Amino acid sequence: MSLADAPSSLLATRGTIRTLDANVTVTCFDRAGSTAAFALGDGSLHLAPVTGNGDWQSIALHDGAVLALSADAAPTGFVSAGDDGQLFRVATSAEPHLIFASGGKWIEHVASFAESRAGLIACAAGRQVHLFDLHGERLKALSHPSTVTGIAFDARGKRIAAAHYNGASLWFIASKSETPRLLEWKGSHTGIAIHPAAEAVVTAMQENALHGWRLPDGQHMRMSGYPAKTESLAFTHNGRYLASSGADAIVLWPFFGGGPTGKPPLELAQIEGILCTRIACHPKDELVAAGYANGALILAQISTRRVIVLNEGGPSPVSALAWSPDGTRLAFGTEAGLAGLLDLSAR
Amino acid sequence: MSDSLVPVTVLTGFLGAGKTTLLNRILTTDHGRRYAVVINEFGELGVDNDLIVDADEEVFEMNNGCICCTVRGDLIRIIGGLMKRAKKFDGIIVETTGLANPAPVAQTFFVDETVRGRTRLDAIVTVADAKNLPARLADSAEASAQLAFADIIVLNKLDLVSNAEADAVETRIRAVNPLARIVRATRADVPIESLLHQSAFDLSRILDIDPVFLDSNEHDHTEGIYSASFEVSRPIDMQKFQEWMATLLQEKGQDLLRTKGILHVAGEPRRFAFQAVHMMADGDYQETLAGAEEKSRLVFIGRDLNRPQLRRGFEACQVAA
Repeated sequence: MSLADAPSSLLATRGTIRTLDANVTVTCFDRAGSTAAFALGDGSLHLAPVTGNGDWQSIALHDGAVLALSADAAPTGFVSAGDDGQLFRVATSAEPHLIFASGGKWIEHVASFAESRAGLIACAAGRQVHLFDLHGERLKALSHPSTVTGIAFDARGKRIAAAHYNGASLWFIASKSETPRLLEWKGSHTGIAIHPAAEAVVTAMQENALHGWRLPDGQHMRMSGYPAKTESLAFTHNGRYLASSGADAIVLWPFFGGGPTGKPPLELAQIEGILCTRIACHPKDELVAAGYANGALILAQISTRRVIVLNEGGPSPVSALAWSPDGTRLAFGTEAGLAGLLDLSAR
Repeated sequence: MSDSLVPVTVLTGFLGAGKTTLLNRILTTDHGRRYAVVINEFGELGVDNDLIVDADEEVFEMNNGCICCTVRGDLIRIIGGLMKRAKKFDGIIVETTGLANPAPVAQTFFVDETVRGRTRLDAIVTVADAKNLPARLADSAEASAQLAFADIIVLNKLDLVSNAEADAVETRIRAVNPLARIVRATRADVPIESLLHQSAFDLSRILDIDPVFLDSNEHDHTEGIYSASFEVSRPIDMQKFQEWMATLLQEKGQDLLRTKGILHVAGEPRRFAFQAVHMMADGDYQETLAGAEEKSRLVFIGRDLNRPQLRRGFEACQVAA
């Protein structure tokens, strides 16, 4: 993707904007990339077709806020969960289908994995991670020492990692064993990411820092210096960088040449004094989209360190951000309920 | 202190003291306000309400080299989640289990920036059973800690004791915590307005409490927790105070359960309100009512308080005479 000829006010020329009734808590695309979904604090889900000027579909789904959303393991549709303790599969063409009810515990995290013939859906409710197959049948429940604060599948769907107090647990999904590999580090871990080549697991921590474990040997990696907590972290598609929020720039830790230990992070798209709240790594290129506390939306190219302002800002912090699977579209949402779709495909 | 911050009330108290009765009262009384209630045992309340949040008390130690700095990570998570809801609350009530130390809950409001940015700790309310409190104080360290941390103490089950017994229990509570407001009750029949939206962390009323009362030396040492209060008349040198307090909290923070103060700072028309829970301290300038006295007062609630040393330390924070 070339950034050279991108117009300056992309949101105005290539954006579709809607004002919704409540804060946008999460956004994502389905696996086919045909629909973007926006989850809201009032429990509703809004489905936006990416092509044409089709109407957005609004579904009143959860009692309370939608806390988690992911693409379904199927080619189309989504899985959504909320503080009503319910996990739904949602598609544009069918009634929402309840997969699981936790019986009181909030469901704050969902994830999915898909390959040609198989698929997995996971959700975290309290101390347990529940795994479901492509048909929504529950396969197993994995127990942890404290509430699970983040889950992630590895790139091959062989393992799932869960963050909790004093570290993370790494489970082999097919294993009959009741015990995971424990990655230990004292403290409260609040988010998680797995390196695309499974070289490392990284968690966000309460103390405004990230902690990593190199997977072959379990060696610790410390990444600190953030002025605020990291709420959003992800590896670039090739695993060379870990992008993170929590500073007034996109903070990128190098995972090559011996890094990140002892290497300073790359900081891109700094807006002085304004916190970066969400990041999203492009699925095919070394590009990172970032949202800020003042509503600004920025695209940064790592190799050239060039940045493009997609939106100058607004009244409300960016609270949700996601790329389409082919990397041509970007969806975002704000705390004030602004939801947007940007078409960044070459023309 | 901004009004946009959602007030949080922490409800502590021993099993059987009447905490659940009080919570049920808050949830079922028609007071026209919406409260989210964070509880530990789902179903305990017998009230079906979408505002009830089931939590596990999950405490962790901060990696900041401070061994008493324990925090409720689950609360940070839950408050973050509640703030995502479209329908806003008038307040949040956090129940702790009977045996819980209230410090981690209180410290959570000092430690986490997101929590601080959206909520404020309104009051720690402890429910005490007038009949059984003396026995609890004798057999458990948590009982006196729960009294020590309280801003408001509901002295419940008064129908089970005589007036003289009630007065005696109140005297014992005062020995541990002279700052808390005591509300007498039977079957937790307390007007809800007297417990919620109290801004009990608004410390200006410390100056209104009779100093003779605060300085009572006849504290009951059997609990091991008592209070010491000091007053100085010359303005405070803020730098000296902060240095002294930082060192004091670092060295003695584990024994200092709560520290509260109102300071008349040199060259500053507003009063500085200061408070700490163990080692975690916080303070800001407050608008002062006309005619307020130009004195400063500091109250410690804790164990092994060295009165002469504390007095000398506070006195040395005054500007030169």
